[in-house]
Amino acid sequence: MATAIPSIACIGVIGRNNNPLHTSIFPSYDPSTNSYRPVRTPLQFSLILSSTLDVFELRSRQNAAAGVGLTGDFGLLHAVDDRLAAYGFETNTGTRFVVIVDMRGRRIDGTVAAGLADGRDSKRIAGAAAGLREGEMRPVFKAMQTAYIRLMQNPFFEPDEHSPPAGHGGKKITSRKFAGDMRRIGENWMPGVTNL
Amino acid sequence: MNEYPSGSLDHSVPFLLTLGTRTGSAYDFGLSAALKEQAVLIRSDLPPLESDQARALLRYIQDRDASQLPCNAREMAARKYRFRVKAVERSLLLPPRHAPLPEGIEAPSPSPSTVLHSPYSPLSPISPLYPDGLIDTQWLRKHQELVPSVLLCFYTLVSDTTLATLCDNQIKTDVNNIRALLSQSGNKTRLAVVLLSDHVPSASFGEGIQERLETIRRGCGLDSKALFLVPSSDSQEELERVAENMLTTLYAVAIEYYRDLGRHSRKKRGRGIAPQPTVPPTSGTSQTLSLAGWNVRYDFKSAVFAEYRLEMDVALRSYEQAYENLLSSELMELIPSWSPRWNEARFLADVIAVRCLRSLLWSGQHSSAARRWQVHRERIADFVDRRGRGTNNYGWEAWEARWAVVMADLIDKADIQDLGPATLKLFLPPEKSVMGERLQPWELLHHTGYWHRLAAKHLQARKALAHAIPEDDRRSPSASPASHVAKSAFAYDTYMCPDPYEEFPLGRPGVDHGQLIVDRLMRARSEFLRRRQTRFAAEVSLECARELALAENWPNIVSLLRPIWKDLPFRSEGWIAIAEELNWALRTAAAEVGDAELLLLTSWELLSRDFTRRPGWHYDISRALEDVDLTPKPIVSIRDGQLQAFVSASFLFMKDEGRAGQSVRGQLSVVSNTHSESAPVVLSSIYLSFKGSLDGVVLRHQAKGPAIQQSQGKAILSSVPLTRQVDADAQAEPAESDETSTGVTLVGSSDLTLLPGRTLVLDMEIPLREPGETLAESLTLNVETELFGLRQSLAFQEAKNARLWYLSPSTTKHVAHPRPLAVRVLPRPPKMEVRCPVWKEQYYADEPISLKFEVENGEDVEALAKLDVLLFGEKPPSFTVEIPGQEDQTSFSVRSEETRLSGVSMGSIASSKSLAIGLRLPPIQRSSRYDLTLKVTYFLPTNPGTPISQTAVFQLKVVNPFEANYDLLPRVHRDPWPSLFDPEGIAPPSTAEGDSIPLPPKGISQAWTLIARYASFASEPLRVKDVDITIQPQPTAFRCTSTKCTELPASGAGRLVKPKTIQEAAFDLAAQKLTVDDRSHAHLDVSLLIKWTRVDTNDQTTSNITTLPIPRFTLFGTEPRVLASVSYHRRRRGATTIPTTPLIALTIMIENASNHFLTFGLAMEPSDQFAFSGPKQTTLNLLPVSRRSVEYRLLPLDAPPTPTEGKEEEGGGWWIRPGLVVRDKYFQKVLKVIPASEGVRGGKDGFEVWVPRRMVFGNAGQGEDQEE
Repeated sequence: MATAIPSIACIGVIGRNNNPLHTSIFPSYDPSTNSYRPVRTPLQFSLILSSTLDVFELRSRQNAAAGVGLTGDFGLLHAVDDRLAAYGFETNTGTRFVVIVDMRGRRIDGTVAAGLADGRDSKRIAGAAAGLREGEMRPVFKAMQTAYIRLMQNPFFEPDEHSPPAGHGGKKITSRKFAGDMRRIGENWMPGVTNL
Repeated sequence: MNEYPSGSLDHSVPFLLTLGTRTGSAYDFGLSAALKEQAVLIRSDLPPLESDQARALLRYIQDRDASQLPCNAREMAARKYRFRVKAVERSLLLPPRHAPLPEGIEAPSPSPSTVLHSPYSPLSPISPLYPDGLIDTQWLRKHQELVPSVLLCFYTLVSDTTLATLCDNQIKTDVNNIRALLSQSGNKTRLAVVLLSDHVPSASFGEGIQERLETIRRGCGLDSKALFLVPSSDSQEELERVAENMLTTLYAVAIEYYRDLGRHSRKKRGRGIAPQPTVPPTSGTSQTLSLAGWNVRYDFKSAVFAEYRLEMDVALRSYEQAYENLLSSELMELIPSWSPRWNEARFLADVIAVRCLRSLLWSGQHSSAARRWQVHRERIADFVDRRGRGTNNYGWEAWEARWAVVMADLIDKADIQDLGPATLKLFLPPEKSVMGERLQPWELLHHTGYWHRLAAKHLQARKALAHAIPEDDRRSPSASPASHVAKSAFAYDTYMCPDPYEEFPLGRPGVDHGQLIVDRLMRARSEFLRRRQTRFAAEVSLECARELALAENWPNIVSLLRPIWKDLPFRSEGWIAIAEELNWALRTAAAEVGDAELLLLTSWELLSRDFTRRPGWHYDISRALEDVDLTPKPIVSIRDGQLQAFVSASFLFMKDEGRAGQSVRGQLSVVSNTHSESAPVVLSSIYLSFKGSLDGVVLRHQAKGPAIQQSQGKAILSSVPLTRQVDADAQAEPAESDETSTGVTLVGSSDLTLLPGRTLVLDMEIPLREPGETLAESLTLNVETELFGLRQSLAFQEAKNARLWYLSPSTTKHVAHPRPLAVRVLPRPPKMEVRCPVWKEQYYADEPISLKFEVENGEDVEALAKLDVLLFGEKPPSFTVEIPGQEDQTSFSVRSEETRLSGVSMGSIASSKSLAIGLRLPPIQRSSRYDLTLKVTYFLPTNPGTPISQTAVFQLKVVNPFEANYDLLPRVHRDPWPSLFDPEGIAPPSTAEGDSIPLPPKGISQAWTLIARYASFASEPLRVKDVDITIQPQPTAFRCTSTKCTELPASGAGRLVKPKTIQEAAFDLAAQKLTVDDRSHAHLDVSLLIKWTRVDTNDQTTSNITTLPIPRFTLFGTEPRVLASVSYHRRRRGATTIPTTPLIALTIMIENASNHFLTFGLAMEPSDQFAFSGPKQTTLNLLPVSRRSVEYRLLPLDAPPTPTEGKEEEGGGWWIRPGLVVRDKYFQKVLKVIPASEGVRGGKDGFEVWVPRRMVFGNAGQGEDQEE
């Protein structure tokens, strides 16, 4: 029996000025054609990413009122619909990482699941299919932050160019290494992965 | 939820029916025609109450109707009862307990097999469920709307004692009548009576009333809890109190009623057999409802009755049981999908699921509810896939959409406080029971906006599937071959949605999918907006606009998208794709609507290359308004940052500083960032706005303008000549430039065509007028065509400003100064020049100084000038200013260190003419330093209010041209001293005091030689004409005469003295005391006078005299002096003069100027340097005031072999040291021998005598030529 498990459909990095810095889109499994392709168009992903900004704003207001949320992990921002859900993280400098998870983005064949041999693994995967635990996106954000820090350590990377301290907009991140990191994170993550 | 039959999904609330009051409208029971015939009519014979009190009570009870209340436990806790209230006047219809036998079946033989059942049961042939249906909405409606749990009858309690008994009896009769009818109907409806007293309560009345009530109660056979008295009272509070009590009591009764019903259905389920229908089915499959079906029916009934009792957890359990059984393999799996029962079962499953969801939401299990929602969807999907017509058709999507809407409505109905818009929460955290589990994000209950949007998504899918229906199926069945109809009947899922030929019919409009989608999206949008999810709402609006576009509802698109396009920060934040989508959508709509302004704005923005290129689009702003009605001509203004402008501009001043009156170069670069294929944009004008003295620069388009244009690569460089705006233009321009013109506007023209991807660089020479800072602020680009006017403003920003200065189109340089947008304008420089053509580095003391200055007017016009002169320094001399045509003016001193002359009028100086002025200073005595400041203040006739001043400062350095030092050498006076004993020397006694006749001096005399060595300290050679000394003041005690022995040429032309060379001048002084008696010493004050002129001066006649005072000398000491002098004699041998060392005559003169008789011993030691003749040892006695001399002849031996003994000196000679000692015999003191002529000098160990190697005569010594 084939089981759908969550996978990352899109990774977005949004700058301090609410400007998109980076977007990576990943294909999801489409059962009707039995192939992998992005579940939305880039424009739709762009809209979804930008709509998370509303949630960031709401949540940071609530966090400020409640005096919590120091870690920067915003957890689930919202479920866009019954399939896609957006998770968010904010760094100290106001850069935001958004991961859009497709809850049915990847297929695991029953045979594959069985092939994973011992019962613990198959159980883990079966459990994974049901949903996500609260901290399950944390490794993703950790890996993204590590990649972002590596990007910042590049002496040729000018952060102010990407998020001008006063003003609007900013350039996108063009680093191929960073894009490669994002791709690796997006492709390798699956529920239960603790290290990327 | 509205798509489900009414009553099927409603929350079950105990039903209370009032009887006996006048109501506005009759209550329609909605019984089906078949049942109406059989219905039991319950009538009250008494007239309905019409009193105010009765109305008020009824209104109050009706107001407490709970059927629309939010379905949650929180609400329940606040209320003691919950009724659904309906009112009838005098009669009501109750459905029959038992259905009649269908016609055509013979009257029931008294066989036991023929049992009559409820008309709602599948056992009765009259029921639509007969023979194998499960349960339907009719049954739910029966309990919700037809059969009340409590029938509340209103009666008047007449207070009139005469009528009381009669009325009470009427009540009794009526109640009994109703009771009988009720029991006849077979329903267990509870009966309650409320009596409204029509009289003011009084004590006497009160006593009797209890009795009356008791009588009525007993007479009616009512429970004590079922009779209520409402005393007559005006007080609303009293009425409410009574009503509250009554309703609370009745609620308990109603709950009991539903409990009985619930118990009954449980009992029936407990029997465990399927009852037999009244008549065995003869049609269809003749299949009857199975036991499992009956169990579902009973469970469902128990659940509903539990819901009436608000025992929601009990209800949930029963519902779940019913649901599981329904979907089990024994029931739904067995129903064939073509059967109408299949859809009925699906419907029942939906109803149960909805009621489950409500129960879950009721108890706050939100995540469980969301999960339950998903589970139902998945089970049904699975079921439909396996048994039905699959999920890949419009019917399924319609159901999916409906299912999402149902959830949204349920959430609305549950009125969850934590999810209200005020909390700004988007979803609820999971409840405790599922906290640790792996949850789908969707299982956290999101607010209804998300559910509506989900519904819209499924509606879109439905639409897509509907549009994919083949044409054959879209034909109406009457027009299609029967075979087609039969085929398509099984291909489409038409559960609760129309057949394909209705869904999307051929040739006529069917289901308006677009409207359905838009309705959902608008609901979602309003929910998002209420929670400040503006971006999400924008996304929804975009989707909405897409649907509206398909429906060609253009005005709505404009009204929907325009605020988003205008206000939301997508473009400033860099979400280009979104902005692009918005633009295209709006542009299309605007073109259809004919909104020219919007069309212009979007077209303008879409020119930007930031957006992806749409193939085939013309990208030409001048064609933007094609096919649009243009009255009036549209004119739009675009603020900076309002749009994603395709033009960007930067401005640079070449220098950061400039002067008023001068000009500075500035470059404006306008970069066009359009798609490369787009048409060039021709700007009609550019307005550059400045802050500061300059108002603005207007550049107008002129295709073949005077500007020189160079183009290479990406840049087009043109330098634009600017002219000051002429007045005629001034009226036209401000209207165009929106500026209130207070300053200066400059005008230029150039070719202002913006080619795609090119940079238009405009080089300008901007004249500066006022001092201060001038800052380039903003730019307005105007596009003015016959069709429209467009104005784009751009603000310059220091941070974004490119700092490249175009030297040529291909070469740029970086402008380094920190603020290239600003230029600091310094005040206007004076063009009057003050200079001194001949300014000397040094001026000399004792010289009258005359300075010439020239004041040159460099202004364009003549200037009226005044002159201030200030001499500053230590004790400055007063000076005189000479101005041609004016009287000389002399300065006055202000303070000790300042002399000034103010406001000397110089008259007017014509343009580029100069005026010579002279400044005379008297000779200055000492070396000093002054600052000479000349300040010319002038006014120009063009601007007579503003004085302009030019200041020139000169350093006047006055130095002493000469310095000197002096030696006073004693000499032997030739004249004999007067004898003390000589009577001639005695001064005659003065005849009278103040005798003015000077007597010839008779006293002792001494001779001196004054050697003055002076040097020029000037920086240039000076001509010394004469050197002299003056004795100042003339001494009184002696007479002194001086003789100058200088080597200056006698011609009077003087000698040129070069700087730093020492010149010597010698003066012989002879002094003689007036009387011999005067033996006190005397002082001599002498000054050296140097007469000189500058070399370059033409005036040779006047010369400057520098007086150098010589330190005071003391003459005529009383101590004895020993003076040594020498003279040289040539030695001759034979006839020829042998060049050999001379014979030296050394004369030792001892002067005794004292009053004592002194004795001196002289001793001459022999030496190997010379031979001498004269006393080797002798004694000299000197009388007071006398002198005597001793003479030695020295013959130096030949020149020493080595220069060690008696050093060889330059000039050919050497010094020898005679060992002569002069000793005062009395004091035993050695006297110092003082050299008193040339050839003798003082040494450390005594005096020395010069021996020339070659005798030079005539200029040294006093000796005469002698022959040996």
